[in-house]
Amino acid sequence: MKTHWQILVVDDEEVMCESLAAWLREDGYQVDTASGGRTALDMARQRDYAIYFVDLKMPGGMDGIETMMQIRRLHPDASIIIITAYATVDTAITAMKEGAQEYIVKPCNPEEISLLVSRIIKVKNLQRENSILRKKLARQYCVHDVITKNSRMQQILTLAGEIASLRSTVLIQGESGTGKEMVARAIHSSGERAPKPFVAVSCAALAETLLESELFGHEKGAFTGANQQKRGKFEMADGGTLFLDEIGDISPKLQVDLLRVLQERTFYRVGGSEEVRVDVRVIAATHVDLQQAAAEGRFREDLFYRLNVIQIVIPPLRERREDIPLLAGHFVERLAHELGKDIAGLSDGALRILMDYDWPGNVRELENAVERAMVTCRGRNLEEGDFAFLAHNGAAKTWSVPAGMTMQEMEKRLIAATLQSTDGNIKKAAAVLDIDRSTLYEKMKRYEIER
Amino acid sequence: MKFLYVGATPEVERGALEAVRDRMAAEFGLPVRELALPPIDFAWDAARRQYGSAEVLEMLMRACPGDGIKLLGVTGRDLFIPVLTFVYGHAQLGGRVAAISLARLRQEFYGLPPNREVLLERARKEALHETGHVFGLVHCADRQCAMSLSTNVGQIDRKRDAFCAGCAARLGRRAQPPPKE
Repeated sequence: MKTHWQILVVDDEEVMCESLAAWLREDGYQVDTASGGRTALDMARQRDYAIYFVDLKMPGGMDGIETMMQIRRLHPDASIIIITAYATVDTAITAMKEGAQEYIVKPCNPEEISLLVSRIIKVKNLQRENSILRKKLARQYCVHDVITKNSRMQQILTLAGEIASLRSTVLIQGESGTGKEMVARAIHSSGERAPKPFVAVSCAALAETLLESELFGHEKGAFTGANQQKRGKFEMADGGTLFLDEIGDISPKLQVDLLRVLQERTFYRVGGSEEVRVDVRVIAATHVDLQQAAAEGRFREDLFYRLNVIQIVIPPLRERREDIPLLAGHFVERLAHELGKDIAGLSDGALRILMDYDWPGNVRELENAVERAMVTCRGRNLEEGDFAFLAHNGAAKTWSVPAGMTMQEMEKRLIAATLQSTDGNIKKAAAVLDIDRSTLYEKMKRYEIER
Repeated sequence: MKFLYVGATPEVERGALEAVRDRMAAEFGLPVRELALPPIDFAWDAARRQYGSAEVLEMLMRACPGDGIKLLGVTGRDLFIPVLTFVYGHAQLGGRVAAISLARLRQEFYGLPPNREVLLERARKEALHETGHVFGLVHCADRQCAMSLSTNVGQIDRKRDAFCAGCAARLGRRAQPPPKE
């Protein structure tokens, strides 16, 4: 994972600077050079380097110690190695006192520098890994963790920040894999409820009765197997946020129960007679168009309006293609640590493939694609060939049944499409559909289909 | 037709050049040609009592024939770069030329009895290592791979005179034999 670490070499003697930089580059690091303290500071302002090699004696009013102190003001955790041709105990003590991590005398033994650099990078890798794991463990995403430069997404994030401290219900709509839960967590952790629990429930994963006891809890003896009282997710999320994923899939009975909780902020445990009062903010998410479902009577209209106080619609990845390079780069960097593979980034060709692909599974699919490519990749960059499986996916993209239409509508569309493919030839169309010609005529008449 | 050139300065014994040449031909899969190089006295640094490798690389750039894809120079002199006490070799990363020094590969340098086999084996490994850099390879974490970093002879002796599968694959994409004209 060397490629992700950058090193800055600061020395007024060009040969020193360049020879050390070249030697470190052979080790796989990205190395920049600066000929003096001021240039070094300008560069340190642009980016934080993992290691700074700073020559002690430099002209121009800014020596190595001064340069180091200024860099440390910008980056308190910077690892700075002071190099000098004239070693004295005094300067060594001063350098270490001012926060130099190491002090080396040039010319230095290659083994010494090599061990020094690998030791520092090892610690940096562990620190980075630690922060990634912590974030993953706590899943405490904040608004800044959402990677995007798309204007619609940025509006969403601004809105998320603004509504974070309200108790109003939020409805997040978006295709599968667009990051609905991540936005929900960002809303939760940006507001006053952040220290309180964030409880996520997938409504599609559980049968109606199970989901009911999961959400509201149950009393001892409420049903067979209810050996003791159990708190539901609403109680667990008290003071915090309850995230109801796939809300479009819940049964009519649960819709009524949910409506009641949202209105009254109270509910009964399954089999219980005691009213339970909670302070919970509900964030619901769905990949189906709830407004249409409500219009068609498949979802209670009053519940829809209760949920839809604040609406967030996350665009699919194919409508925010400008984010693909950013996201792919982010996944490469994170997965390089997780998989322990030294992969620096993506080639232009690989990026082109990602940009051209349609991403029906959205950001989640992109993440999985990058991971799959990284597992088999043997170079230092992901190349076009590493994403060959995407072309295959694209070609084998299967037609999926658009749920939400009637059998008759389906039959009508199939007949029309078949006739189109046979250029209106009834005999051929009937053969493809495996029905009699007379039956086909009859259906065409019934559905008013032209040849 | 393009060639990989291996050159030697006058003090290098013939056998060492041949060992390096044959190993390079086998590992890179490219036709290898020999080249006679001048002495490198011009690179002598009296203060350090060593030879500057940057100056040697400059000379190699001038010496590389027009039909040479890359040139590796072999010398018996002890090389250094300003910031380090010594180098076993030096290469232009992703460039055209590289050099290796046999001085510190000899057992005699460490007060041990001479051993020609040990010297040739180390020379073959370092030749692959520096030439690998010229083809754009960086250090490899596999301690047995020729591209792993060696800062002492013990580390050189521990690696093999071949590239690991990963480095070989990377190299394969860069060192394709040139199409026949």
